[in-house]
Amino acid sequence: MQKAAPLTKLILTVFVTIWAIMLQSIPALAILIAAQLLILILSKVSAGIYKGVASLFIFAFLLGGLQYVFSNDIILSVVTALKMTAMTLVFAILLATTRMQDLSAALVTQCRVPYEYAFMLTAALRFIPDLLTESKAIQEAQACRGFSPGGNPITRLTSFMAIIKPLVLKSVSRSETMALSLELRGFGSKKNRTFGSNVALEVRDYAMLALMTAITISLILVRF
Amino acid sequence: MLELKNISFAYKAQSPVINNVSLTIATGEFLAIAGRNGSGKTTLTRLIMALKKPTSGEITLDGKTTKKSGPADMARSIGYVFQNPDRQIFHDTVIAEVAYGPEQLGYSPDKVTEMVNQALTATGLTELASAYPATLSRGQKQRLAIASALAMEPKMLILDEPTSGQDNIERNQLMKLLADLNKQGLAILLITHDMELLAAYATRVIVMDHGTNAYDGTPATLFKNTAQLKKWGLTEPTAMNISQNLEDLGIVPTTSITDLSNHLIDMMGRSTHAKSSAAY
Repeated sequence: MQKAAPLTKLILTVFVTIWAIMLQSIPALAILIAAQLLILILSKVSAGIYKGVASLFIFAFLLGGLQYVFSNDIILSVVTALKMTAMTLVFAILLATTRMQDLSAALVTQCRVPYEYAFMLTAALRFIPDLLTESKAIQEAQACRGFSPGGNPITRLTSFMAIIKPLVLKSVSRSETMALSLELRGFGSKKNRTFGSNVALEVRDYAMLALMTAITISLILVRF
Repeated sequence: MLELKNISFAYKAQSPVINNVSLTIATGEFLAIAGRNGSGKTTLTRLIMALKKPTSGEITLDGKTTKKSGPADMARSIGYVFQNPDRQIFHDTVIAEVAYGPEQLGYSPDKVTEMVNQALTATGLTELASAYPATLSRGQKQRLAIASALAMEPKMLILDEPTSGQDNIERNQLMKLLADLNKQGLAILLITHDMELLAAYATRVIVMDHGTNAYDGTPATLFKNTAQLKKWGLTEPTAMNISQNLEDLGIVPTTSITDLSNHLIDMMGRSTHAKSSAAY
């Protein structure tokens, strides 16, 4: 999957979303999810991705449970949960197998998204691991001053201010530094920017696109 | 006071970060840890603070094992000052910031006020008690971090490169503060790359090299060992370098610029005296 062009994977996310909406039976959705998991395994993604996928399943399970509580329709709840999983799993595939710079290059050159917006998306995504590292460091710093989360949920929430406040302050100053360094390196100075990465479609991609279109058409034919 | 027995630590089993380190830190010591980046200095102190648990070996504090202690328990006896004070400051005033630690430990309000006032006095921050921490200078923030640690009345203070990014005046103020605290009986453990500071203040040096404590002794003996210094990625203080080069002239090797210049003035005085007496 790493070898496929980012555009192919972007289109795959769109198609998978359409399929997930169209499919109504539990086995069909299960096959879709299984196929996506197979792609993840074949792409040999890192262990961290699987953790994310696991939490995705837990979230879907909770969502289904909630739906069951309110609608009392077991089939409907299972279908909803499976649809949610199928739709989100494809993003895990996209993000785990695509480099950020390739993604923004594809968005700008092929999808005609203005560079600022494409950059906003990739910048937000790359900030997440930074924030996690930072929050861990802050937790350690506060632990050395007697911070230990515990007690009832309300005290726990208020005690977490000791982590959140420095985290927000540091992130703000960090984004300021980032904005400055971006500007100093010519961000937004030219309308037509070029990209170093090659995101052109190859035979492999055309084959995948044809396959995806064929699946979609046959689904439409079966449904109507 | 603090004893490390055969401590090892590894993120990955095949490459240990800390390899079988044993050492004792006594009450009131001024100890410096030196060594190249990645030699295990910070990891060692993180193990002491229980931020990480050793893969083997045992750490005891006042004879009691710390196997089940977390960082918050260790904070009662050991204060840790991080390199970047911004990571811990979150209250709106200096005084509230310093009070956070003792409050977390559950002291009564009267006792907290007393502890905070003592810590502010010791670090010279009394006048800034109601200041907004974000507006403080780097050196003041560092002192605030030290005050926050002191307020918990520790027996030992660990500082991870506290002088980085500070100007000379702030650096000297900080070191003077540490020396004063040490005189009052507080043990200081300082991680530093600054050999001048190390020579001037520390009474004992531990050099970390590839996860082991390669050297444990006085700074004076350390700097005599030029060949080993290079291997450990250290350089001797300028005064030591000059005095060693001038040893043939009868200069005694020293780490202190003041001692060296006094020595030189002394010698020059003698030689001019010798010359002038010859002229007569």
